[in-house]
Amino acid sequence: MNKFRKNIAVIEPSKILYEGLIASISKSEYNYSFYNFDSFDEIEIYYLKKEISIVLINPGLVQNRLNDFAKIKKQYPKILWIGIIYSFFDNSILKLFDDTFLITDEVSIIIKKINKLCSNNIGNNHEDGQLSEREIEVLHFIAKGLSNKETADKLNISIHTVNTHRKNIMEKTGIRSLAGLTIYAVSKGIISID
Amino acid sequence: MYKTQKSYITKDKKMLDLINDNYSLLLCLQHFDIDFSVDNKTVEELCFENNIDINVFIVISNLYNGFFPVENEINKINNITPILQFLKKSHSFYIEDMYPELKYYLGKIKNVHSSIDFQLIEQFFNEYFEEVLEHLKYEEEIAFPYFYSLMRNEKNKQTKSFSAKEYKSHHTDIETKLTDLKNLFLKHIKIKSDLSIKRKFLNTLFGLEFDLKIHSVVEEKLLIPLIERIENELNE
Repeated sequence: MNKFRKNIAVIEPSKILYEGLIASISKSEYNYSFYNFDSFDEIEIYYLKKEISIVLINPGLVQNRLNDFAKIKKQYPKILWIGIIYSFFDNSILKLFDDTFLITDEVSIIIKKINKLCSNNIGNNHEDGQLSEREIEVLHFIAKGLSNKETADKLNISIHTVNTHRKNIMEKTGIRSLAGLTIYAVSKGIISID
Repeated sequence: MYKTQKSYITKDKKMLDLINDNYSLLLCLQHFDIDFSVDNKTVEELCFENNIDINVFIVISNLYNGFFPVENEINKINNITPILQFLKKSHSFYIEDMYPELKYYLGKIKNVHSSIDFQLIEQFFNEYFEEVLEHLKYEEEIAFPYFYSLMRNEKNKQTKSFSAKEYKSHHTDIETKLTDLKNLFLKHIKIKSDLSIKRKFLNTLFGLEFDLKIHSVVEEKLLIPLIERIENELNE
């Protein structure tokens, strides 16, 4: 079981359903925090502050905005999307979600579905927060103030790869600014200040 | 977005109950310049007494309770002055309360822990606050005067114009660095110091983060759309 807290966004216009849903799921042993959003656009505003793992969403909010939905899915590839189903939706819509549940499902089944998705996702969740050797090398140059391009040249890798490493470093350390990464690198002895 | 425990603020609720429910509302009252001795008054009575637009108060105070405004609440607001007054008061709070307080605690920690790590954190903090001050200066010198000129129905005569995009990117930077500071303290750097002082420092930092979050929601969700509406009306 994953001991880390998951932030779950719930996008469901019916307040009664929302309150009932989270009251039921909150009683599980898992560490979930729930946030209510009016639409999936708000995820963008919120995501910088807290990472959202799962979004429970009413497919009715998606079906007329398929392009926007595709865009946001692409922008946040780690978010898992679960459809809250209480009326008929076309299969082509349901396919867009990682999973779905019926509001008439047993609570334990709903919790199981959420948790199963969470644990499938652990692989790219950087649970231990340890940087790989390559990431340390990348951080070494970034913290010294080299650009992505210069870092790529030094390590003989593509800029794209540097970017990926950079993103992973930020995720693992929870530090996003260059100044903050430099402090991290100094404190871990990755670079030294002369 | 909201967490679900706190009560939703309406005009007929007693302020005293609301404060007992969530004492962060004291900070909200301070930003509206409302005294804390609220007696038995309702939200409506307090707003009336202090000459505050009740729609603005309800939307903003609900943010302190974790309720995100819905569209028809936002649409009810048609006066930017109370929003600007609220923002201005929050600015003084950041500059006069938060900043000196954090600096004071960092100074205390420095007395016992003066390693290179800590010097860097202090430098990071100073640069961070430099940025915050710059943003506040931008708001007060560029953005706010522009908004007021809009209220007076004047077309934009300024040379350096206000940009909503620039406004938003400032917020993102400010919030990112604050999170970094928290994470450096909580996850990465072992700083030898009195626990009590470190806790006070972090407490203040969390308090600042909470208020800054509300600050940017007020600006981005209430103020900017309202400004855009006024701009469109003027252009018609």
